[in-house]
Amino acid sequence: MPLLTLSIAFPLAGAALAALLPARMTRAPRAIALGSALLSAATLVATWARFDSGLGIQLVEEATWIPGLDVAWRVAVDGMSLALALLTVVLFVAGMAYGVGPRPMTRAAAALLLLLEGSTLAFFLAQDFFLFYVAFDVTLVAMYFLIALWGEEERRYAAIKFFLYTLIGSLPVLLGIIALSLEADANTFDMIRLAQEKPLAGAGLGASLVFLAFFVGFAIKTPIVPFHTWLPAAHVEAPTAGSVLLAGVLLKMGTYGLVRVNLQMLPDAFERYALPIALLGLVSAIYGALVALAQRDLKRLVAYTSINHMGYVVIGVAAAAAAGVSARGRELAIDGAVLQMVAHGIVTGALFFIAGFVAARAGTRDLDRLSGLMRPMPVYGTLTAVAFFASLGLPGLAQFPAELQIFLGTFDVWPAVAGLALLGIIVTAALFLLALQRAFLGETEERWLRLPDLGARELVALVPLIALAVALGVYPRLALDIIESSAWLVGASP
Amino acid sequence: MMTVPEAKAMEERMIADLPWLAPSGALVLVAVVAVVLAVILPRRRQGVVAGWVAGGHVVAAALAGWVWLDRGFEAVMEGTLRVDGLSLALTGLLGVAGAVTVGLARPALAGTDREGEFYAVLTATSLAGVMLGAAADIALLAISLALLGLGSFVMTGYLRASTRSNEASLKYYIYGTVAGAMMAYGLSWWFGLGGSTALDTIGRNLPNAPVGALVASTALVVVGLGYKAALVPFHFWTPDVYDGAPLPVAAYLSVLPKIAGLVALARVLPLALPDDAAGWSTAIAVVAAATMTVGNLAALPQRNVVRLLAYSSIAQSGYLVMGVAALAASDQGLPALVYYAIAYAATNLAAFAVVVAVQRERGSVDLAAFRGLGRVHPWWTAALVVSFLSLLGLPPLSGFVGKLEVFTAAIDAGQAWLAAFAVVNTVISLYYYLRVIGPAVLPGEDSPPHEPIPAARTGGVLAAALGVCAVATVGLGVVAGPFLDLANQATALVAR
Repeated sequence: MPLLTLSIAFPLAGAALAALLPARMTRAPRAIALGSALLSAATLVATWARFDSGLGIQLVEEATWIPGLDVAWRVAVDGMSLALALLTVVLFVAGMAYGVGPRPMTRAAAALLLLLEGSTLAFFLAQDFFLFYVAFDVTLVAMYFLIALWGEEERRYAAIKFFLYTLIGSLPVLLGIIALSLEADANTFDMIRLAQEKPLAGAGLGASLVFLAFFVGFAIKTPIVPFHTWLPAAHVEAPTAGSVLLAGVLLKMGTYGLVRVNLQMLPDAFERYALPIALLGLVSAIYGALVALAQRDLKRLVAYTSINHMGYVVIGVAAAAAAGVSARGRELAIDGAVLQMVAHGIVTGALFFIAGFVAARAGTRDLDRLSGLMRPMPVYGTLTAVAFFASLGLPGLAQFPAELQIFLGTFDVWPAVAGLALLGIIVTAALFLLALQRAFLGETEERWLRLPDLGARELVALVPLIALAVALGVYPRLALDIIESSAWLVGASP
Repeated sequence: MMTVPEAKAMEERMIADLPWLAPSGALVLVAVVAVVLAVILPRRRQGVVAGWVAGGHVVAAALAGWVWLDRGFEAVMEGTLRVDGLSLALTGLLGVAGAVTVGLARPALAGTDREGEFYAVLTATSLAGVMLGAAADIALLAISLALLGLGSFVMTGYLRASTRSNEASLKYYIYGTVAGAMMAYGLSWWFGLGGSTALDTIGRNLPNAPVGALVASTALVVVGLGYKAALVPFHFWTPDVYDGAPLPVAAYLSVLPKIAGLVALARVLPLALPDDAAGWSTAIAVVAAATMTVGNLAALPQRNVVRLLAYSSIAQSGYLVMGVAALAASDQGLPALVYYAIAYAATNLAAFAVVVAVQRERGSVDLAAFRGLGRVHPWWTAALVVSFLSLLGLPPLSGFVGKLEVFTAAIDAGQAWLAAFAVVNTVISLYYYLRVIGPAVLPGEDSPPHEPIPAARTGGVLAAALGVCAVATVGLGVVAGPFLDLANQATALVAR
């Protein structure tokens, strides 16, 4: 059975179905959304069962599409793809359980969420550049509408900014794709072949320009400082589930592309620019942490910590590409980077839910105005504390093993970079502990005393993410067993 | 002098060539019968003429397919006409697009004075476009261009009572005449330098001409065709004419003469100046860059959606002509032009169809008229979103595959700078395309309270035309394979 194709087809078919429903069926859109997302999740779990972590890319499904250009429907998984696809379905199920826009979920909301899910999965599973690019841009359109329709006050501005930045990023990627496919022996969009052939070997001017085109596109998406300015606006103005998906899943497209294309297809050029890129990642990590430290708005704070955490991913990928790295260090760095993508997706998804829940109750996310929330909302407070600790990298929670691996791998080649990156961890620890102290502990103000604790819908969305954050922290092999097959990403043949 | 037996043999050859001219012949017949029908039928039955002309266009397109499959490619009429992939693809495209234009025009024109004649003129204009794309002889080229201009001018001025329509028509006429005269002057130089009216003979002699004369005469020829294709700096007529003309005519002008002009450019330049003589590729590439930039920048402040689409179509000409700029150095140039032309025709007609529908119901084409469209007309809005995103070039829509093709051609031809230029332009264009989509889809707190807008009868014809174009806009992109194959085969030009 073409499981991967089905995992993409279920959400897309669900989107079409939801869009065409008659208006009077008010409960159906949510049922369709959750049903399609769960079916998609089931196919991916079945894929996991068939997945052989000893191999690189595998379970290829192929069908002709545009033979003249050697474009085909090619989907396949390696460790990185499967891990991120699983992350995608987890966060989408959580996001749909919570919902966006008016309740019950409207047809448009269900259709857009499913379109976003289908295209995101297509992006992570694609092994054809045409499909890869189509998926990249369709996620952009779906997310634009999600922000513009159901975001907060400045949603129009944030949505256009998001569209503009992502388009500016995606078009150089398109030029890069064209250049790569023209360079291949027989022009092709087959990413597996391009990864093996590496048509632009060496680090000459052509390879450097193509590398730069891809890098700019993925750097905007990740985002890496100085390409990050779209992120706070989009994350803060998006509806809660939109922010969860944006930070939890869509940011990973940037680092995924960095590994899939820059690292895998242009390794020589990456090797040449590895140190500058690691330094950009370092700047992102420290800058993101420092700016987050200065925030009073919880959602904005979480948004900036994303820049910090994605900075570690970039450092890890760059370390894996560096010239002087040992085989062991390279493995640690790349596996850590992929694990960090997954861990950050889960933890930041939880954090954006947390910020959304308090805003929906108290009407504010201002850490200076909130106080003593732990007393009226013990469940919420406890889950928040766990998520905060996970995000600051406490051992036993999801991000610790990931960051540890990245630092170990980086230390192998650039000890100074690894050392400086640790500063970021100290700052994030400080800012989360401060936030916890300001808003959750201490005296509870009169007006916050009667805030209700989490309801069923909120628990269904949040608890699984917290549970996963704990599970990955205690037993990181859960994800590493999949991810470690990504050794093929750094040059080993599949 | 030709002897009698020679003349006799030539006549026989020309008669034997007639099957290749079946599409053009069909259009002539359609136009003649349309005139007769328009005269004898009473005003309320003029819809018959519309049906006849629309059907005739489709038949012409089908005949083009028949010639392609059954007869093959041939240089006919003593080499003055090239019936090959390029011209047959153009014929098919003009046939379908012409029929769609009739569908757009019929609801607006029904019951007006001289409705039937309009359709007859439209057919003659389509015929001129077909000829322009096939002409391999400078005399035929000049005649086709003049006929194309004449028909467009009459259709633009159809609303005789409207001063704006008259002004637009006059503007089009004056610009067109001057551009046509300049081209005729340039062609006369070519005739002198090349020693023949046949383009392939010219192509053997012209490259040896003095460089000054060569460049000057070529520039003059490009003026005439560039004017039809709305290339910068010959684009000034476009916004005023689109805005003043009846909307369906604007839709027609944005597609048919433009594509015919570009196809003629793609045929004439390599024939008359083989091997990139005088470096025309680079000159066209510069024109492409200027065209897309001027079109996009001028579109930014527009609040009138027709003017916005006019500038957008100038920008699109810039992307289209990238295919012409690349064709000397890359065999991907011509297929890119053909595919993008098909995709652009579907997309732009879909966009115009929505504007026609909105104008019929709300009486305005201002941006404000599109506010809240999504609530009242979800299907129109879907077509609007799809067509504008396709013009922007988002996948998987046909506009994206078109851009993919022209970018590939440009990079392959060593004009990566032009592709980068086009990318920057695409980003600029996002702003004005979203300016129309945004208010249409998003419920706005800034928009005036919704006055209940009566869902007017749009007419099934208009809905059908809109449906065809919107489906084609998506379908040509998602199922691009067969159309790209067709575009590739269309490059099998006949040489003589």
